[in-house]
Formats: sequence, structure tokens, C-alpha cells
Amino acid sequence: MNSLSDYFHTDWQAMTVNDWIGTILTVVIFVLMVAAYFLVFRPKNRDRLESMKHIPFDDDDDEGTGARDGRP
Amino acid sequence: MDANLEQKYDLDVVRWFTVMAVVYLVVGAAVGVYIASELAWPALNFDSPYLSFGRLRPLHTNAVIFAFGGCTLMATAFYTVQRTCGVRLWSPRLARFTFWGWNLVILLAVITLPLGLTQSKEYAELEWPIDILIAVVWLAFTINFIMTIARRKTSHIYVSNWFFLGMMVMIVYLHVVNSLAIPVGLFKSYSIFSGVQDAMIQWWWGHNAVGFYLTAGFLGIMYYFVPKQAGRPVYSYRLSVIHFWSLMFGYVWLGAHHLQYTALPDWTGSLGAAVSIAMIIPSWGGAVNGMMTLSGAWDRLRTDYVLRFLIIALAFYAMSTFEGPVMSLKTVNALSHYTDWTIGHVHSGALGWVAGISIGAIYHLMTRLYHTEMYSVRLINLHFWTATIGTVIYIVAMWVSGIMQGLMWRAYDEYGTLAYTFVESVDAMHPYYAMRATGGMIFLFGAVIMLFNVLMTVRKSLAEGSLDRARALPAPA
Repeated sequence: MNSLSDYFHTDWQAMTVNDWIGTILTVVIFVLMVAAYFLVFRPKNRDRLESMKHIPFDDDDDEGTGARDGRP
Repeated sequence: MDANLEQKYDLDVVRWFTVMAVVYLVVGAAVGVYIASELAWPALNFDSPYLSFGRLRPLHTNAVIFAFGGCTLMATAFYTVQRTCGVRLWSPRLARFTFWGWNLVILLAVITLPLGLTQSKEYAELEWPIDILIAVVWLAFTINFIMTIARRKTSHIYVSNWFFLGMMVMIVYLHVVNSLAIPVGLFKSYSIFSGVQDAMIQWWWGHNAVGFYLTAGFLGIMYYFVPKQAGRPVYSYRLSVIHFWSLMFGYVWLGAHHLQYTALPDWTGSLGAAVSIAMIIPSWGGAVNGMMTLSGAWDRLRTDYVLRFLIIALAFYAMSTFEGPVMSLKTVNALSHYTDWTIGHVHSGALGWVAGISIGAIYHLMTRLYHTEMYSVRLINLHFWTATIGTVIYIVAMWVSGIMQGLMWRAYDEYGTLAYTFVESVDAMHPYYAMRATGGMIFLFGAVIMLFNVLMTVRKSLAEGSLDRARALPAPA
């Protein structure tokens, strides 16, 4: 490798169908991940998302049983 | 009295899977200790092919991964999906089919593997008729889970269900593709893939069995049971969402790092290693999210032995998800590959993370499923220390022996010839193999204590009539 352009050189003519499928999927997944980060960390969505963490406690019929659990 | 649980949900199958998980933990760990002892003291082979390491090793891995791990996943998935969706299982009959089908798979593995009937694919040894049965049972499990979610009363699907669902979908895909084979008899088949493609498919399955089954599935357990046991919601729900999607998008790339310095194109190994390093971020994000759930209540760890299991499991999760990516780097892999370091890494994940989080979840479940306290809380504490000390002894022995092996195999003298024969490296391993067997025995002792405690709790519940009373109470209006 003599230069950065050599390192990133791609022989586009040699790309097979599999190569193109893989390339496109990689780019699409990258974009989707960026979108996921944006939506999750957008301040506007904070309260709505964080309110979901109480779901396991919405159904607390087990209060009182196993209260000691692992405690002596 | 949590009587409503019995009226609102179908918990019978959860109870069966929970108890069987503990039985299989003891069986799988016992076979593991036996084969570890064979490596230290080969006379234990007794010159019997049925007891040879080559045949019993897949029995050990299948017993701990698919019997213990599978029963734990099915118990916890069926429990949490009902509790977080506020509905009964979509089909109790399909759940019972899943229980008996999965146990039939385990029975067939116990029979065929010591007989030497194997596809010779790691973690996918079972022959084609059993592979088909696995696919059918797993699909029944998946469909029941999805349909239960579809009928939920909540608007949002809680994140633990996402992890379970991700595991289910990916395991169908991975298991079916990796098991594609041409049968030449009832007990013999040949993979439709050959050469380096077969190796690539095998490790695409192999690492994703780790990523989606042993990681995503057990993270589903973590995201429900850590908050419930701690009595406080998970530290950050937003972090859990990012954890999920990063894991789903990232894990599928890693398999090639198992094939560094092989006939596989060089760039695939590099890509596998690069994404492995990137995966440290979501993995540690998830571990921190679980641990920080205890923020402001760390004192609970002094008194809550079940919570100790869950939190120490997260510490092992963080450690092994750092160690794995480091081992995938070519320079480190040149030393570590084919050595006991890999075995140490696998067991820090398997004993520390998978078994730890499972054991914590099972103790949590026992009191709620049998409507009584555990037979002995002191025994849970004893189990915690035996499991932790046994695991640490095991992995330290394998780290030392693995690095020693790697250094001995590549040592040259001044004439450029190998400094040690392979036999000399085997001989040097003996003390560490004995130490590993000892660590395993300590871990097994803890598992036996757990089985005793669980069975005595079931007996206590029967004697008190607590389960019958809970079942007899009127259904909520």
C-alpha cells in the first residue's frame, strides 16, 4: 500500500451479485443504526421511552410472596 | 399470597422447565467434571469408547447449553412474556408439546452422542432426524411466544421480550441453514457445504449460538429478573433499546474471527475482529445498565443472595465480552487459538454469565411458582460462594495453561527448530488440568446444593399445601 487511495481502491467491475447484496445491506444497516441512535437519544422521546421501564412492575400480584427471596 | 398468578397465568410448564433446568445443570456439570478429570488422569477413560473424551465432550456441551440453558430460557421466556404482557400463554397445549419435545431431544442426545453418532459440527453434533425435531419444537416455542405477545394487554412490548424474540428468530435461521445435510442413512448425513464454506457456515452458526442463544436470550432474562429482584426499574430503558439493536445488527458478523489463519480469505477474519471490538460498546452498555439498576441500593448485595448471583453474572458478562474481542485480534489470536485460553474464555461466559444469571432467575422463580419461601436461604449463600470460587479457579487454570501452551508451541531455539515437542506441552498442562477439574468439582458441588434446595422447596410447598391453596382461590374479577 503506497497511499490511502491505493488502500481504498475497489475494482467495481469485479463485484459479484453477492458482493453488491452485502455492500447494500451493510450501508442500509449502518443507516438504520444511525436512525435508531437518533430516535432513542432524541430528548423529545426520553420520557416516553423511559416510562416503559415500569412495565414489569405494572403486574405486581406477587407482592408479599417470596419477599425474603435471597435474604436471610 | 400471590394467588392471582395461578388464575391469571399458565405456570405449570414454567414449573416443569424450572425444575428440569436444575436437574440438567447437575447432569451437565457432572459430565463436564468427568471429562475434565479424564484430561488430567487419562486412566479414567477405562479404555471404553463410550466414556472417551471425544464422545462425552459433546454430551457435556449439549447438556449444559441445550438442556440446562434451553430449559432455563423456555421457563423464563414463558414466565416473563405472560407477566409483562398481562395475558396467559396463547396455547398451553403447544407449551406442553414444547416441554416434552425438548426433553425428547435431550434424551436422544444422551443416547446417540456416547454411541458416536454425530455430524461432527461443534454445538450442532446431533444427527439429522434430531435436527428436524429441534426445528419443530423450537418453532412451536417461537410461535407460542409470538402469539402471546400478539394478544398482550400492554401497548408496548417490554425489552426483555425483544431479546427473547431476537434469539428465537435467529436460532431458527441459524439452526436450519447450518444443519442442511444430505442423509445417507437414519444415523448418518453429510453437510451440503464443503471445505472452507462449511467452516464459515459452521462458525457463523457457532458464534451466533453464543451471540443469540447464550447472550441475547440470557439478556432477556437479565432485563426482567434484575429489576424485579432489585425492586426497581432498569437504570436506562433507552440504553436497553440501543443494546438490543446493536446486538442484533452486530453479532452476525463475528463468526469469521474463529477462523483466523485458515483458508478463509484474510479480510473476513479482519472484519470479524473489527466488529468484535465494536461490540464491546453495546455489551458493556448492557452490563452497566444492569448493574446501575442497583444505583442507590448497593447495600442489597450484602443481604440478597439471589441478587448477588444476578450482579456477579453481569460482571462476568462484562469481562468475557471484553476478553472475546481481544482474543479475536490477529496478534492475540496467533497466541491464543487452539489453546486452553479459549476454554477459559468460554467458561467465564458459561459458568460466570449464563449459569449465574440463570441460577439467580431460577431462585427468584421458585418462590413465586411454589408460593413459599426457599427451603434454605443459607444454602443459596453457600451455593453463591461455591459457584463463584469454582468458576474463578477454573478460568484462572485455563488462562495460565492456555498462555503457556501458546508460548511453548511457538518457541524456537537458535537453530530455528521448535523448542518443545507437543507431548512436552501436554505434560506441562497436567497441574492446570487437575486445578481445572477441582474448580469444576467445586462448581458441581454448588449445583448439587441447588438441586437439593429446589427439591426440598417443592416438597415444602407440597407439605404446606401452598400451591394447592393458590390454585383454589377464586379468579380475579
